[in-house]
Amino acid sequence: MSDTVEITVTVNGTVHREQVSVREHAADFLRHTLGLTGTHVGCEQGVCGMCTVLLDGQAVKACLLLAPQLDGHEVETVESLAPGEELDPLQQAFKDAHALQCGFCTPGFLMTATALGREGRALSRDEIRDELAGVLCRCTGYEHIVTAVERYLAETPARERADV
Amino acid sequence: MSETTIERDRTAQRPNGIGADAPRKEDDRLLRGDGRFTDDVDPARALHMAVGRCPFPHARILAVDVSAASELEGVRQILVGADVARRSEPISVLRPVPGAPPLPFYALAQDVAVFEGQPIVSVVATSRAIAEDAVELIEIDYDPLPHVSDTIGALEPDAPVLHPGVLSSNLLATNPQGAGEPEERMAQADVVVEDRFHINRVTGLPMETRAIVAQWRPGARELTVHHSTQVPHLVRKQLAESLRMVEGEIRVIAGDVGGGFGLKLGVYPEDVLACLHAIDLRQPVKWVEDRLEHFRATTHARESVHDFRIGATADGRILAMTNTYTTDLGGLNSPFGSAQLSTIVFTGPYKVEDGYVERRVAITNKTPIGAYRGYGQPEVNFARERLIDRLARRVGKDPLELRRQNMLRPEDLPFRNPGGGLYDSGDYLATLELVVDAVDYDGLRRAGRGPRPDGRLVGVGLTSFVERTGYASAKFLANRGSQFGAHESVTLRANRSGGIDLYTGTPTFGQSSETAFAQVCASVIGIDFHAIRVHAGDTGATPLNTGAFASRTMIAAAGALKQASERLRDKALRIAAWRLERDGVEGLAIDGDVVRDPDDPGRSIALAEVFTAAIIGQGIPIGEEPGLEATAHFEPEEAAYAFGSAAAVVAVDPETGDFAIERFVMSHDCGVAVNPLLVEGQVQGALAQGFGAALSEDLTYDPDTGQLVNGTMLDYFVPTAADIPEVELHHTAVPSPVTTFGVRGVGEIGTIPPGAAIANAVCDALAGEGVELTALPVTPERVWRALQQARNRSETS
Ligand code: FES
Ligand code: FES
Repeated sequence: MSDTVEITVTVNGTVHREQVSVREHAADFLRHTLGLTGTHVGCEQGVCGMCTVLLDGQAVKACLLLAPQLDGHEVETVESLAPGEELDPLQQAFKDAHALQCGFCTPGFLMTATALGREGRALSRDEIRDELAGVLCRCTGYEHIVTAVERYLAETPARERADV
Repeated sequence: MSETTIERDRTAQRPNGIGADAPRKEDDRLLRGDGRFTDDVDPARALHMAVGRCPFPHARILAVDVSAASELEGVRQILVGADVARRSEPISVLRPVPGAPPLPFYALAQDVAVFEGQPIVSVVATSRAIAEDAVELIEIDYDPLPHVSDTIGALEPDAPVLHPGVLSSNLLATNPQGAGEPEERMAQADVVVEDRFHINRVTGLPMETRAIVAQWRPGARELTVHHSTQVPHLVRKQLAESLRMVEGEIRVIAGDVGGGFGLKLGVYPEDVLACLHAIDLRQPVKWVEDRLEHFRATTHARESVHDFRIGATADGRILAMTNTYTTDLGGLNSPFGSAQLSTIVFTGPYKVEDGYVERRVAITNKTPIGAYRGYGQPEVNFARERLIDRLARRVGKDPLELRRQNMLRPEDLPFRNPGGGLYDSGDYLATLELVVDAVDYDGLRRAGRGPRPDGRLVGVGLTSFVERTGYASAKFLANRGSQFGAHESVTLRANRSGGIDLYTGTPTFGQSSETAFAQVCASVIGIDFHAIRVHAGDTGATPLNTGAFASRTMIAAAGALKQASERLRDKALRIAAWRLERDGVEGLAIDGDVVRDPDDPGRSIALAEVFTAAIIGQGIPIGEEPGLEATAHFEPEEAAYAFGSAAAVVAVDPETGDFAIERFVMSHDCGVAVNPLLVEGQVQGALAQGFGAALSEDLTYDPDTGQLVNGTMLDYFVPTAADIPEVELHHTAVPSPVTTFGVRGVGEIGTIPPGAAIANAVCDALAGEGVELTALPVTPERVWRALQQARNRSETS
């Protein structure tokens, strides 16, 4: 039970040194140790995508990682998107398109789309659907989410996204 | 691209008032990851609960040995069935089946467990991991008993009786309803079509599972419960009953709720357990359901068998309809139990005066059934609309013509149908003509069914439907034994910043009520939408209400919002008039953050000043009471019926049964839309759940072991963004005469059409083969099997 290890991880730009249980997954660590409760948990099986965060810039499912595996890496969570008063353009696109209802899935979609935006590829609506298929939503029927991501990708030049 | 014809209401009197696409009040916190869902509440010194569940569908519990588990370091308390029976009362039913005896059940199974997943023991420890380890160490000796998993099989004379102390069979109740002389009409009919239709067992699967955090202050006798629920005030009532407490000692707080869909209505066993532990241990206790538990312990829905019959004249005029249907209750009667609305809309939008419908409720060894978006309406729509198409083929008419011929016209309304529903108003045919035009039905018919160059056959399927939204009066509910009313309530309270605090017992779970409520207030009062702050879901702060389900929120809340807004506005204007030294309020109006003098547009008084004067009671008219707040309760006189039509176009591979939905067009009428963009979101979302239930979702129990075979997120196929066909939405807006502002409910209608429209389209494509689908979901395999059957039939005949 006292199986813990010390890790050093950078989360949203802040370096954390923490003692973590070897059996705790990364989503629980972010939520309950660091208090970053924007990352959600819906299945702990890698299917629903509620726990999607960026690990060294890649969208990953945090429930499939153990907290010790974060050691030495950089994590970005939904809390990093809008540090100030203004929403970031992706969040604003979600708001304008009514792309969220209960909002439980929203952080998963936002982080997936953030990674997508940084890739700078132009995507068709169908390709966007495929890219988003790793995150489930039970409220919106996806149409408005696809629209929000489509507008975001179209309106934000790739260069600008890359320097975020 | 999704195309929509929802027109924005240009007449909206105020920015963000009724009819405007106001930005959602809920969005900013949720977009920033700053929502507050139940698992986000982490009190200091919280303990964690895990629940040990029965692995069998039906078993006697012979012995429970907790000795090894209690010695595990970190374990604080273990409860077994006898503890719970001593300490609490059985969980009550909120919406009983009329005529049914109570099937009381405790939070932990007593001698016999009746479904896989039923709680048997609960453990609280310093971490969830330790609590789960302890559950593994508990030795439970079970004697597996014969089980029933088939809904109809449960009613066979040789089926084991699951609640022998209360009932002599597994039939919980039979509820007949009808009008006219259906059997005489059937006897006179030239054509009678009938069949048995099987509706699949599905689940709403909110992305946030259930969760609770219970905290007890013994000195204050105060139990604070953070809970993921749609109905905090009903949870408080049920907890008080089960825990033998008075309601005043309990405060239920629903923060942000990650989807409900009917599954989070009322108390579940784990809620009682967490509270018992918290009271005993005097420390906060948290339980968050994991997804495997969710598939077994949170209510399922829809499973039912409908024996539907339609009699008609040789030229297709419908003379009578009957439907005898059996809903599967599962092992216990959950607070809402199995679907009750298949009865009231069984004849749909058709002019049928002679009809009979009978609901039978069967008990099986499966997870209890509860409410789910639609609550019986998608189910019966599938049965009736499949038969309408079959009747059309029998009398040699196009299904479109047959629907036109039999549909109720606006002048027929109001209309009392044989299921007991009173249709308030509407133009049902207009919604059908809208989809027929949009999909170019005539063009599709001219083009023929194929085969196309790709070998596929093309079919088009229609469905038209009505949906009951909201409840007719509390009197209607009382006759059915319901433990809740039909009203909604709201409290508005002015604050010294010139804003209004709006208090509602309706929590936030995606239905956008914070936004829509504020829009109504902004419209009636004239205050800026952004100056209204909504406080939702805390029983310690909000007026008693009913809760958010049955598409009833706006139907009832609109009236309460209007009344409270008018009262608060009128008093604010009296005070403003006095301060402006005017004789009366005539012509005075609130405009954003000021009250304007009509005679002198330059002259105005800040709302903050008016509100402050009222709150401190200084500078208000003589005889005016200090304070500025209003609470209103409102009960609509009748339920309102939303309605609509849909068309699906499919291309079917006649060899493999594979099919693609090439178009899906839906029209709907939800009366006056408070916020058209939100209405569209509600319809899209419900449609997606409808597509899931129509195409892929199917909770399956192994008939031999009685166990759920696909109870994980990986094995239960809910649609992803890549699975939903593009949808085209159209709408009409006939105001309902029975509600404030003419609204109709909107939350559930989208669940109704997919099953019927898609199955009708596939059968239309395969009409040459004589394929008739009678079960959901419509999978390629099911289509292939139906094709084989039809071919074998034609070979042997
Ligand atoms: S919680 Fe990680 S994918 Fe579902
Ligand atoms: S908005 Fe509720 S799950 Fe997506």
